[in-house]
Amino acid sequence: MTVVTRIPGLRSRSPVAGLRRRALRPLGVFAQSVATTAPAGAMASVPLLVIAVAGPGAPVSFAVAAVVVGLVAICIAVFARRMAAAGGLYSFTAQGLGSGGAFACAVSMVVSYGMLVAAAFTGVSWYGSALLSRLWPAAGTPVVAAALAVVLAAVVAVCALRGIRLAGRVMLVIESVSIVVILAVLVTLAITTVPAPVAAAPAVPGGALGIALGVLPALAAFIGFDSATALGVEARRPFASVPRAVTATAAVTAVLYLVATLVQLAAPGAAVGATSPSSGQAGGLSGAAVLMDLGIVASFGACALAALNTLVRVLFSLARDGVAPAVLGRTHRRYLTPAVAIAIAVPVLAVVAITGGLAGVAPAAVFSGLLSVGTLAFLVTYVLVCLAAPRFLARIGELTRGVVVAAVLAVAALVATLVVVLLNAGAALLLTLAGLVVVAAAGWFVLRRRRPVALRTMGVYDETTTADVLTAGSE
Amino acid sequence: MTSPISGRQPQAVRSALRILEEVAAAGVGITAKEISTSLRIPPATTYRLLNLLVAEEYLVRLPDLGGFALGRRSANLAPAPLTTPTAARAVMHRLRERVRWGAHLVAFDRHRLRFLDADPDHPPSDADEISRHLHATGLGRLLLAEHDDLPDGPLTRLTPRTVVDRDELKEALAEVRRTDLARQCGEFHAALGCLAVPVRAPGDRRLVAGLALTGPADRVAAPNTELIDLLRDHATELGPLLA
Repeated sequence: MTVVTRIPGLRSRSPVAGLRRRALRPLGVFAQSVATTAPAGAMASVPLLVIAVAGPGAPVSFAVAAVVVGLVAICIAVFARRMAAAGGLYSFTAQGLGSGGAFACAVSMVVSYGMLVAAAFTGVSWYGSALLSRLWPAAGTPVVAAALAVVLAAVVAVCALRGIRLAGRVMLVIESVSIVVILAVLVTLAITTVPAPVAAAPAVPGGALGIALGVLPALAAFIGFDSATALGVEARRPFASVPRAVTATAAVTAVLYLVATLVQLAAPGAAVGATSPSSGQAGGLSGAAVLMDLGIVASFGACALAALNTLVRVLFSLARDGVAPAVLGRTHRRYLTPAVAIAIAVPVLAVVAITGGLAGVAPAAVFSGLLSVGTLAFLVTYVLVCLAAPRFLARIGELTRGVVVAAVLAVAALVATLVVVLLNAGAALLLTLAGLVVVAAAGWFVLRRRRPVALRTMGVYDETTTADVLTAGSE
Repeated sequence: MTSPISGRQPQAVRSALRILEEVAAAGVGITAKEISTSLRIPPATTYRLLNLLVAEEYLVRLPDLGGFALGRRSANLAPAPLTTPTAARAVMHRLRERVRWGAHLVAFDRHRLRFLDADPDHPPSDADEISRHLHATGLGRLLLAEHDDLPDGPLTRLTPRTVVDRDELKEALAEVRRTDLARQCGEFHAALGCLAVPVRAPGDRRLVAGLALTGPADRVAAPNTELIDLLRDHATELGPLLA
C-alpha cells in the first residue's frame, strides 16, 4: 500500500467517515427519494389544487411540471454519476458555483427539508386527529393533535437513529401500501360516484393561464425527489443507484399524479368529501374515507422520516465542512448515523409543528404555511444545482450540449415559477422569506470573517481514497 | 438519460474495454478528454462509458473529479499472484512447531479468501469453496464481521450444524466483533472445526489477513485459552509483516 499514498491529492481516509459506508441496497435508496415526495399524500390532495386553477387542463399542468422535474433530474444526475456526498445538492453545487452558491444552496436545503419534516409532522397530527375524532368525537382536541405529532416525532427519531437500512425498509413498506390504498380508493370513488355538476366550476380560470398557474402546485407535488443524493456515502454503488433513484422517482411520481388527476377529473367532487379534514368532519364513517385518511397519515409519516434522513445528513456534512458546529458531525458509534443532528433537529421541528396548533391556528394554515416556505426553498435549491451542472462539467472538461440545454430550460422554468409565486405571495410569506434571507446573509458574513477556510473548501464528499485505487503497489 | 448497453452493441462493449485499457496504460489521473482524443471515441460516448465504468467500480474518479484511475474491482479481471513475505512464513513455521493442528494464513481480497501460507501437513479446503460459504467458516466470519454484512444469497446448509438463520448468524458475527475471535465447530466439515483470529495493520487496525487453526470439531469447542493466546500472539507478530 505504500506506493499508493504517493498519488497527489489522495487521502487515506474519507472526509465523511463515520457513516455506514456503501451498505444500502438500490431499493432502499429509491425508497428514500419516493418517501420524501410522499406521493400517496400528494395524490390525494394536489390534483384538487391543480384542477381548481387549471380545470380540465390539469393533466397538462402536471405534464409540464413533470418535464421541468425531468430536466432538473438530468442536472442532478450529472453530479450523482460523478460524486457521492452526504450533503446532497449543496455538495454538488459547491463543485460548480463555489462557496457562495454552495452556502446559498445549503441554507435553502436546511430550510426546505426542515419545513418538509415540520409539515409532515403537522400533516400527521392534522389528518390523524381528524380521523380519530371521526371514530371518537371526543378526541378532536388540539392537545390530542399535538400528542400525535410528539409520538410521531419520537418514532421517526428512533428509526432515523437506528440506521438507513431499517429506515429504508420502513419507508418502502409504508409508502407502497399507502399508494395502493389511495389509488384503490380514488378509482373506487370515481367509479361509484355519480358525476354531479360541480359548484366550483365557474371559478376555474382554465385555458392557457390556468394551466400555467397549475404548474406551481403540480411542481410542489414533486419536491424532495432529489433526497436520495444525500445517501451517496451509504449507498452501495452510489454512482449507479443514486441517479437511478432520482430519475425513477421523478418518472414514477409523474405517472401516479397523472393517473390521480385523470381519475379526479373523471369524477369531479368524488375526492373532495372523502378525506376527514376537507369534509369538515361532517361526513359519515365511510370505509373509503377512513382508508384514505390512513393512507395519507402513513404517507406523511414516511415523508417525515425520509426528509429527516436527508436533513440530518446535510447538517452532518455542513459540520464536517466546518461551516456548522462540529458537534453536528458526530455519528452514533454503533448505528453509524448522525445522532447529534437527529437529537437537535427533531425536537426543534416538533416544536415548530406543534406551536401553531396549540396556539389555535388552524392545522390547514400551519401545514400550508410550512409547505409554501419549504417549496420555495426547494425551487431555489433546484435553480442553484441546475446552474452548477454545466459549470461543473466545463471545469472537469466533460461538457456536452444536452446538459447545457437541460440546465437553461430548467432554470428558466423554475425562475419563472418563483417570480409568479413571489408576485402572488401574501405579506406573511414575504416577511418570512425576507427574514430567512437576512439571517442567511448575516451567517455568510460571520462565517467569512470567522472561518474563511471552511467556507472556501465547502462541499465535502466521499472522495476516492487510497483503498479504492488499484495500483501496482497495492496488494 | 441512461442508455442501457445491450449485447447487440458490440461497438459500445469494445469501446468500454478500450477505455479500461487506456486508463490502465496511462496510469493515474488521465482525463475524459484525453481518453476521447487518444481513442478517437466521440466525447459524449466516452463520458457515458466512463460514468458506466465508474458506476460499476472498475474505474474511480480522483478527488479533482476530472481524473480517472483503475478501481479495485479491476483487480478481479487479472488476480495478481500473491507473494508471502519470508518473515511471515517464518512466523507460521514457528507456530506450526508449537501446535498439532493445521495452521493457515489467508489474505482477504474484497469478499474472497486467498491462502498466503497453507499448512502443507494439513491441506485446507479450497479457498474458493470457503469464499462461497463465508457464513460457515471461521475465516469467512472474520471477514463478514469486519464489514458488518451478511452474504447476499441464501445461507447454504453444509452440515447439520451449519448456522443458516440470518439472525443467528448476525449474533454470531456480533460475538466475533466483541471477542475478535471466530470459532466454528463442524459447520463446514462435520468432523472439523476452526479457531480464527484477525491479523490487523498496526496503524489503522484494518483487517489484512486471517490466521486460523483447524482441528477436530469437539476439541475446537473446548475453551482452548492457551491456544487462543498463542494464536493472538502470532497474529500480532504477523500484522506489521503483511500490512
